[in-house]
Amino acid sequence: MRLGGPPRSPRSGPSPEGPGSSPGHVQFGKNPQNPARRTRSPSPRPAAPSGTRGSARLRRPDSPRRAWPAALPHCVGRLWMGGRPPSAEAHGPASRRRAASPTQRSRASPGTSLGPPPQPSRGAVAGGGSARGRAEAHEEVLPGQRACKMAAPMELFCWSGGWGLPSVDLDSLAVLTYARFTGAPLKVHKIANPWRSPSGTLPALRTSHGEVISVPHKIITHLRKEKYNADYDLSARQGADTLAFMSLLEEKLLPVLIHTFWIDPKNYVEVTRKWYAEAMPFPLNFFLPGRMQRQYMERLQLLCGEHRPENEEELEKELYQEARECLTLLSQRLGSQKFFFGDAPASLDAFVFSHLALLLQAKLPSGKLQAHLRGLHNLCAYCSHILSLYFPWDGAEVPPPRQTPAGPETEEEPYRRRNQILSVLAGLAAMVGYALLSGIVSIQRATPARTPGNRALGMAEEDEED
Amino acid sequence: MSLVAEAFVSQIAGKVPFIHVGNQVVSELGPIVQFVKAKGHSLSDGLDEVQKAEMKAYMELVNNMLLTAELYLQWCDEATVGEITHARYGSPYPWPLNHILAYQKQWEVKRKMKAIGWGNKTLDQVLEDVDQCCQALSQRLGTQPYFFNKQPTELDALVFGHLYTILTTQLTNDELSEKVKNYSNLLAFCRRIEQHYFEDRGKGRLS
Repeated sequence: MRLGGPPRSPRSGPSPEGPGSSPGHVQFGKNPQNPARRTRSPSPRPAAPSGTRGSARLRRPDSPRRAWPAALPHCVGRLWMGGRPPSAEAHGPASRRRAASPTQRSRASPGTSLGPPPQPSRGAVAGGGSARGRAEAHEEVLPGQRACKMAAPMELFCWSGGWGLPSVDLDSLAVLTYARFTGAPLKVHKIANPWRSPSGTLPALRTSHGEVISVPHKIITHLRKEKYNADYDLSARQGADTLAFMSLLEEKLLPVLIHTFWIDPKNYVEVTRKWYAEAMPFPLNFFLPGRMQRQYMERLQLLCGEHRPENEEELEKELYQEARECLTLLSQRLGSQKFFFGDAPASLDAFVFSHLALLLQAKLPSGKLQAHLRGLHNLCAYCSHILSLYFPWDGAEVPPPRQTPAGPETEEEPYRRRNQILSVLAGLAAMVGYALLSGIVSIQRATPARTPGNRALGMAEEDEED
Repeated sequence: MSLVAEAFVSQIAGKVPFIHVGNQVVSELGPIVQFVKAKGHSLSDGLDEVQKAEMKAYMELVNNMLLTAELYLQWCDEATVGEITHARYGSPYPWPLNHILAYQKQWEVKRKMKAIGWGNKTLDQVLEDVDQCCQALSQRLGTQPYFFNKQPTELDALVFGHLYTILTTQLTNDELSEKVKNYSNLLAFCRRIEQHYFEDRGKGRLS
C-alpha cells in the first residue's frame, strides 16, 4: 500500500534535513488532496516545495485517514498520557474519523488557493483553544519556513552522551531519537545536572509557549501535536502492534535494564555511578547518583511487586529469563527489515532503539543480557544502522560539545596544567607576602642612597614653603 | 462454604487463579499455561515465530492496560472504592481487620500507580486509555473469529477473561463496559466464546 515515493527515501536517509522539512510525512502520491494543494498553494508562497510541504503537513495530520497518529504516543504501557491531540478528539472513534475525512477534503479544497483560509477551519476542526493558537502560529509561519517557533524554538534538555551514545539515559535517548527521526527543530541542551533543567528532571521539553513537559510520552505527544509525527504512515493494525510491543518493552525489558544499570553492584559501581559522578558538577556528584539509585530501586520493586518469590536470586533469574525472551521476540518480529514497520522509522523504533542501544554500547562488567543481545545479529545491525544514520557524529561527541557551561569533565590537558601552575604561583605569592608582612623576612634596601634624595626633596619643599 | 473458605485461603496464602492437580498447586495464568504446556497441550503451537511474538506482545498490552485500568477503577476511584471494593475486600475478615486491610491495600495500589505514572490520571484519562487498548484489540481482531485465525490461543483466553469481567461486573458507573461495548467485534468475540465454551453452564450473561 505504501507507494514508497520520494518523500519516504529522504526520511530514511540521514535525517538532518533541516528544520524546514519532515518530508517523510508527506505522502504526495497517496492523498488526493495533495495534488490540488500542490497546484494551488505555491502561488501565494514563495518557497514552493517547503511551503507545500509545510501546508500539506500541517493539514495532513488532521486528515482522519489514519486512525492511529494520536493513539500511538500514549502507549508504552504504563507511562501513558491520556490526552489525544485535539484533532483526534474532535473526530472521535475510528469510524467517525474516516467519515469526517471527505468533509475535511471538501473543506480544504475550495480554500486552498490561499494558505490562511483553511487554517481557521483546521483550528475549528481541532476544537481546542490551544489548537487554534497553534493554527495562528502556523499561519504566521506558513509563507516562510517550517522553523515554526521563530520566537522561541522548542528546547530539549537531556542527559549528555557517553559510551558512544548521544545520551546515557533511556528516556532522553528515546526522545532524542524520535526527534531525529521526525526532524523536529529542537534546540538540544545536553546537560549533566538535572537541577538545571526547567522541571528538575531530565529529559524535559520547554515548548515554544514556555510550558515545560517532563514525562517522555508527553514530550512525544507534544511533538506529534506540533506535527512531527513519525507514525503518520502506519496502518491501524501497525498502530495496534506498536501499542502491544511498547507494552512488551515496558513489562519485560525495562525492569531488567534498570536492574542491570542501577541495581547490579558491579555494573552500578564501575559504570553507572562512575559516569554520573564524573559528569555531575560538585557537589551534586556526591549524593545524586545514590538518590537516583534509590528511586530506581523503588520503582523496580513496585514494578515487580506482585512477583515476590522466595529470594532475590530467583527473581533475578526470572526477570532475566523473561528479558531474554523479549529480546528474542523483538528479533523475530524485526526479521530482516530495516525498521519495524518497513523502511521508515516510527516511534516504536525510537523506543526499541533506546532500550537496545544502551544495553549494547555500555561496557558492562557483568552483562549477561548484553551477551544474549550480541547474539541477536539483526538487532545489533539495527542499532548500528540507526546510530550511523541519525547520530553520525557520535564518536566526536564523547567529550560532548556542550551548549551550556560545562562541568569539570571538560577540563582538558592544557587547562589542567595551567591551573596547576597558577595554583602553585598563588601559593608561593601567599607565602612570600605573609613572610614579608609579618616580618619574618625583611628586605634591606640601600637606605643611604635613598635618604639624601629624600632629604633633598624635603628641603626643597621646605624652601618652597618658606 | 468450602468455596468461600478456599477463596479466603488463596487470598491470604497465594494467588488466584490457581489449579490444584494432585499434589501441585499452580497459580496465575503464566505458570498455568506453562504447566499445561508441559503436559503436552499448547494452544500456540500452530503459530509461527512472528505471530508468537505478536501474541506475547498483545498479552502484555492487555496486562498492562486493562489490568491496570481495572485496578485503578477498583482502588483509586473514590465512588467505586467506597461502595464496592472496600466492602468486598474486607468481607472475609472481622472488624476492624476488614477496614485496616482494605485501606492498606488501597495505599499499596495507589503507590504502585504512582510508580508507573498513573498516579495523576483522572478517571477520564484512564477510560481513554482503555478505549485505545480496546481499539488496538479490535483492530487486531478485525473480522476473524479469533485473534490468530481459526484457533483460539492464550491471547484469546486472556482477552475474553478481561472483557467478560468488565462487561458483566456491576460497578457504580458503567463507563468502562460502555467503552468495550463500542467495539462490536469484541462483543461478538466474547459472545462467541461464551456460547462455544461455556454454554453448558446456564444461560449467558452477555445478552
